Amino acid sequence: MDFGFTEEQRDIQNLARQILGDNVSAAGLAAFDDYASERFDEALWAKLADAGLLGVAVPEEYGGMGFGFLEVALLLEEAGRTIAPLPLAVHLAAAAMPLARFGSAAQKERLLPRAARGEIVLSAALEEQFTRDFTAPALRARRDGAGYRLSGQKFAVPFAHRAERVLLGAASDEGVVVLLLDPRAPGVTLTPIRTSSYEPQSLLVLDEVAVAAQDVLAGPDDGAAVLQYAVEHMTVALCAHQLGVTDALLRQTAAYTSERKQFGVPIATFQAVGNRAADRFIDVECLRLTTWQAAALLAAGAPASVEVDIAKIWAGDVGHRSSYTAQHLHGGAGVDRGNAPWRYCLWARHNEMTLGPTASRLASLGERCARGEAMVD
Amino acid sequence: MRIEFTPEQNGLRQELRAYFRELITPELAAELELSPGEGGGPLWKAAMRRMGRDGWIGTGWPKELGGRGMTPLEQFIFIEEVMRAGFPFPFLTSESIGPTLAEHGNEYHRTEIVPKILSGDLCIAIGYSEPGAGTDLAALKTAAVPDGDGWVINGQKMWTSLAHISEYVWLAVRTDPDVSKRHKGISMFLIPTSTPGWSCTPVHTLGGVRTNATYYDNVRVTRQNLVGELHGGWKLITGQLNRERLSLMNYGFTAVLLNTVTQWAIDTQLADGRRLAGLPWVQANLARARAGIEALKLMCYKQAWAMTHGTLQMADASAVKVYGSEFFVEFYRLVGEVIGQASLVSRHSEAGQVAHARVEQLYRTTSILTFGGGANEIQRDIISAAGLWMPRAAR
Repeated sequence: MDFGFTEEQRDIQNLARQILGDNVSAAGLAAFDDYASERFDEALWAKLADAGLLGVAVPEEYGGMGFGFLEVALLLEEAGRTIAPLPLAVHLAAAAMPLARFGSAAQKERLLPRAARGEIVLSAALEEQFTRDFTAPALRARRDGAGYRLSGQKFAVPFAHRAERVLLGAASDEGVVVLLLDPRAPGVTLTPIRTSSYEPQSLLVLDEVAVAAQDVLAGPDDGAAVLQYAVEHMTVALCAHQLGVTDALLRQTAAYTSERKQFGVPIATFQAVGNRAADRFIDVECLRLTTWQAAALLAAGAPASVEVDIAKIWAGDVGHRSSYTAQHLHGGAGVDRGNAPWRYCLWARHNEMTLGPTASRLASLGERCARGEAMVD
Repeated sequence: MRIEFTPEQNGLRQELRAYFRELITPELAAELELSPGEGGGPLWKAAMRRMGRDGWIGTGWPKELGGRGMTPLEQFIFIEEVMRAGFPFPFLTSESIGPTLAEHGNEYHRTEIVPKILSGDLCIAIGYSEPGAGTDLAALKTAAVPDGDGWVINGQKMWTSLAHISEYVWLAVRTDPDVSKRHKGISMFLIPTSTPGWSCTPVHTLGGVRTNATYYDNVRVTRQNLVGELHGGWKLITGQLNRERLSLMNYGFTAVLLNTVTQWAIDTQLADGRRLAGLPWVQANLARARAGIEALKLMCYKQAWAMTHGTLQMADASAVKVYGSEFFVEFYRLVGEVIGQASLVSRHSEAGQVAHARVEQLYRTTSILTFGGGANEIQRDIISAAGLWMPRAAR
């Protein structure tokens, strides 16, 4: 039983906190509001690459630090704390980690060193508009020699236009396959999607798009397992990001209510105010514990489907409640775009709705309960 | 970050499970059924002494005090398992009062009382609340007046649970008559319930569990009964309450119950041929309960780990108390809904099933935890002040 972090992990946490804390500001983030410019901070991306953090879980032989998912989650918690304008979750957790774990030597050699150096962005297309089981995609893959031809759609793909490759799952006649799509390939149409978080996203429409053998990450034999790996790692990465977002919102709320005076006293001294903040303290602790449990299991390669569902249930609930508590206790200051909370609130919503909101994860967990797979130890 | 027990700790859990299967004989179980959640009968007393003799009560206590010398984590495992077994273990005595006596008590407390706690020979009730002093405990009026080489105590306490089966009461009294001193005029005494002038009447609660009003009519005590410094009782109370809040929240019992109800829902076929566990709303309830229990489990684990490392935070202790107590209320509702009308069938009914009857009873008893051990509003005050550094209203 160990709820602590190793010295190396604390070093990574501090490094990430320092770089992100020093370089992400409200004024800087304002440049991306309403898609005024693309929400990608090139200078910050380069700084993280220089510090080695973009390759934190990339094996050393491919130019990375050689750490694992716990270190990725630590970085993402800090990214959430600052809502850093970079595609860290998808690049690190949904693409680079499955690639490092399941890719061929040639695939890893081709993509991982450049991903760790920040020369390329990797993305993943895990959502479909009309699919709710993320491990059972509707996108069709038709065998074509040693490669595949893809037809169908993927929804809300982050940074697809910028990505060197987009990891995605598709249904072939033999089973699920996982492919590394070149978003510039003939037959690919990217339609920009604007969302409330200002993250650049695309609707990905694929019409008989050829994916060569060298970009097949997993065939039908292990495609389902590889896709599950990517989905579970991305899910917990979102939970870690949500942990940073909600913890930051809570601290902003505590600070604001301690300063703001009404009736001659700080509003934090009103029990209705203090108690509501305390409820979010408990919430954030629940999110923290369930997230780190899921992350630790994934890092150890242990089965974690039940624990991943539970973490995402908390990420959805805690994100929602933290957002509205922050807005309410800040009063007008919480919705004023001149203050900090509003952007965090939108990212809490992003994390809540991405890869399965609470109700859908409850349904998934309920099915596991009904199959006798979720007994408490 | 590694949230699992060591093989040795898992071995300890299995050993304890086997131990309690053997300890709780049908005769003992029948006796416990007479007063659920209380104990106090002859077989209960014998079982307590056996646990003490076998060294379990002091699992995580230092060897020099008569324990096994393991860590708070192993002590936590023992408490979880004894609660899972459904044995009404008077955990406040060994988990909360005992450590406070070991830390602040005099020679007599350390050499006479603590060993008897660990040997299962002693039960200690807590005398804090009064008719006019609950959440505002420092308003207590029960007073000790100096008399010769000791004091004479007069007053009344409320909610003195287990007093009717306890050998001692851990009693908070006012020793400085200057009421403006409030917190600074309170002292702690450990009083034998056999002392002349002590008496107790039952209070029957919604959950069927007995608690008590206790009366102190010229109860004479000496310096040997005083714990800690004269007028220095408040910090002992707050320290004890911190420990109490931790030990009030055990997830194991609800874990067993959820597993039992889940398996029952899987095995139960409805008249129309469907499985109960196949219904979407049943799955939703099971999932809500399951996600909630996981957070409680992790909070309990983290606190046990933090105690082992001496890093326990006051806000975290209050957080688990608030979360756990409010989760229990919701939990028994969720599993009760899954059981349906049968969740109202009591253990006294032949039509009842054991797990259902437990839900029926626990739903009625669990509400005490949201205000017992410190009202949750006050716990939230502690969290916002100690965990978020928010200013508090003057009280």
